Amino acid sequence: MSAFGNILLGGIFHAAVLFLVAAGLQLVFGVQKIVNLACGSFYALGAYFGITFVTLALKAGMPQWTLLPLLLVAGAVMAVVGPPIERILRTVYDRDESFQLLLTFAMVLMFQDIIRFLWGANPTSLDNVQLVYGKIVAGDFIVPVYNLLVIAAAIGAAALIGLFLQRTNYGRLLRATAENRTMAEALGVNVRGIYAAVFTLGTLLGTVGGALVVPTAAASLDMAVEVVIEAFAVVVIGGLGSMAGALAGSLLVGLIRAGSLVFYPEFEILAIYLIVIGVLLLKPSGLFGKPAA
Amino acid sequence: MKLSRRTVLKSIAATGAAATSPGVFAPAIAQAKPCRLGILAPRTGIAASPGISGLRATEWAVERFNAGGGIAGRKIELVIEEETSPKDTIERFQKLVQQDKVDCVLGIISTGVALALGPVVEESRALTIFWDGTTQDGVEEKLPNARYLFKSTDNECEAVMSSLLAIKHWKGQFKRIAGINPDYSYGRNNMAAFIALLKRFNIEHEVVTEQWPKVGTMELTSNVAALKAAKPDLIFSSLLFADLPVFMKQAAAAELTKGIKLVFPAAGFQHTLMKKDFTPEGMLFGHNTLYFDNPNATPMAKEFVAWYADKQKDYPNWEADRAYFALASYKAAVEAAAKAKGSAWPSNDDVIDAMVGLSVESLGGKGSWRKDHIADQTFVQGFSTHNNKYDFVTLDPARIETMYSADLQKPAGANFWEWLKTAQFKI
Repeated sequence: MSAFGNILLGGIFHAAVLFLVAAGLQLVFGVQKIVNLACGSFYALGAYFGITFVTLALKAGMPQWTLLPLLLVAGAVMAVVGPPIERILRTVYDRDESFQLLLTFAMVLMFQDIIRFLWGANPTSLDNVQLVYGKIVAGDFIVPVYNLLVIAAAIGAAALIGLFLQRTNYGRLLRATAENRTMAEALGVNVRGIYAAVFTLGTLLGTVGGALVVPTAAASLDMAVEVVIEAFAVVVIGGLGSMAGALAGSLLVGLIRAGSLVFYPEFEILAIYLIVIGVLLLKPSGLFGKPAA
Repeated sequence: MKLSRRTVLKSIAATGAAATSPGVFAPAIAQAKPCRLGILAPRTGIAASPGISGLRATEWAVERFNAGGGIAGRKIELVIEEETSPKDTIERFQKLVQQDKVDCVLGIISTGVALALGPVVEESRALTIFWDGTTQDGVEEKLPNARYLFKSTDNECEAVMSSLLAIKHWKGQFKRIAGINPDYSYGRNNMAAFIALLKRFNIEHEVVTEQWPKVGTMELTSNVAALKAAKPDLIFSSLLFADLPVFMKQAAAAELTKGIKLVFPAAGFQHTLMKKDFTPEGMLFGHNTLYFDNPNATPMAKEFVAWYADKQKDYPNWEADRAYFALASYKAAVEAAAKAKGSAWPSNDDVIDAMVGLSVESLGGKGSWRKDHIADQTFVQGFSTHNNKYDFVTLDPARIETMYSADLQKPAGANFWEWLKTAQFKI
């Protein structure tokens, strides 16, 4: 039973981080209709900057218990890259999807070089701070409290995004723009402003996701591409543009991966893509996606 | 080369000086120009850390050799190029040979690159010495009759040594074994070699799980949970890149490493990142061909480690030894061949012939070259301890084990798996 708990929590932890990145991807696609491959780069930037920020803050005398708030701040600060990137993307809003994909892929490569220039080519990590909040031990069931806090942060982010989109006026404007940009613009909605805000929020989700994962992992140049591949599996399963889909897709991917590592480790990747293929065959729009008109 | 009165006089003077100074090589006319060595090493990407370690050792060796007169009287000049994908690395190799006209090419860490480059080396007839690359597809030699190429020891040496040590020290203390190894031929072959040796020595065992994370996977929480669920007595892992300290951190947080045996043949690749906070004492820890804190190290190795620590604020891993060994071998072979030719600069063929059977004192211990152009080197492993002045684990000085690769790698032409079944191991 305790082994099952460890496996379950391992899967949910992976899903939590994946959800943050996938949610950013979904939000941007849902409103701006751009498949933003650079969301992986935002994740990597959050991770690298999180390490730098926390290291400097702890050296400056901040107590260790501030780790989580420091990482959240680092992720938030790094979201400043969102607005200038969105400004560049304006040039391809009305162009073919292939242009958008090419441009955002170019950004992935550019950010990889920027990271190499700023932080070097070697993977980097925080010192052993994952256990700063202790761990919960019950027999063989052992989980670092930090992992639970990350899961809680992802649940909190999902709830806040839901409330923001459903219950606030700005959220309604945002949904209206997502439904019909031309009509929203004709009714006086500042679509350009909404696009900038949505893209920055999408960036924030990615940078915060990256910052939160570093105490348990390491930042590396390849992490941007790796997370994008998984995030796309999430999006295909959940449905492109759907936040509920991002949540369901992340959970499925995280849990399937954790389960396959126990029962048949060779199937770790295959199991995820079998689900992707199944969804594409049975419900091409994804579990929560709207069928194409 | 254009001869002038000045160069002729210089040569005559140098020859006279050499005649009165035994052991010192005379710079003959052709030797006035430097000896150009091409280096192919990764400085970015996942192999950047070993690449940089090898480059630093090369620079140290060049400084040292040049201070002593260079190679057979010619000062060494380096032309450094990046090792990346097989295709790009081959192009850079050709540039080194054709455009830069280097005397020898050294470097290469990735066996994937080495496999592709091997035939090109032979075709180019350019003397090349790999640091850590082999031309083995898995464990099968693909270039058995190389003439111009010299290759590193088999990649499985460290796994064979760890397996033998685990059997020697822990026989009867484990039954349920688990593995977490990188998902490519190195990881797969190492795990398979461990199991094959357990069978060979009739060690009763049960493989409870085998985890194969992709190289560079940095989120291993679920792998740790899967290992924990399998309740192993022993974990064998040849993780060796940045994913290794990440795994150890997550394993320690989940108390996976508590009370079980750990066999990590390649952990020395990341030794300075294996912090005491999360790396337990008593794990079987491989440093391959260079252990920086070896109490039995030669004065030269100690001098190198001190220089490295002073200049780089770091401690070298085994790639430094591989790079030094390659360069020192070339120097020794050239000088031996030159001596045989009365101090004239030898041809490539003379150097190649001198390399075979050559023995060199490298940073990690003795090394030599087999007839099939594969290196033999000294391997060091032992049990981790926290009892040191560093913030990372080192080897317990009382429990350091040293083996020569002649006892760890298959002989020329042998099948690795068959050799494991019949070899006479010294344990």
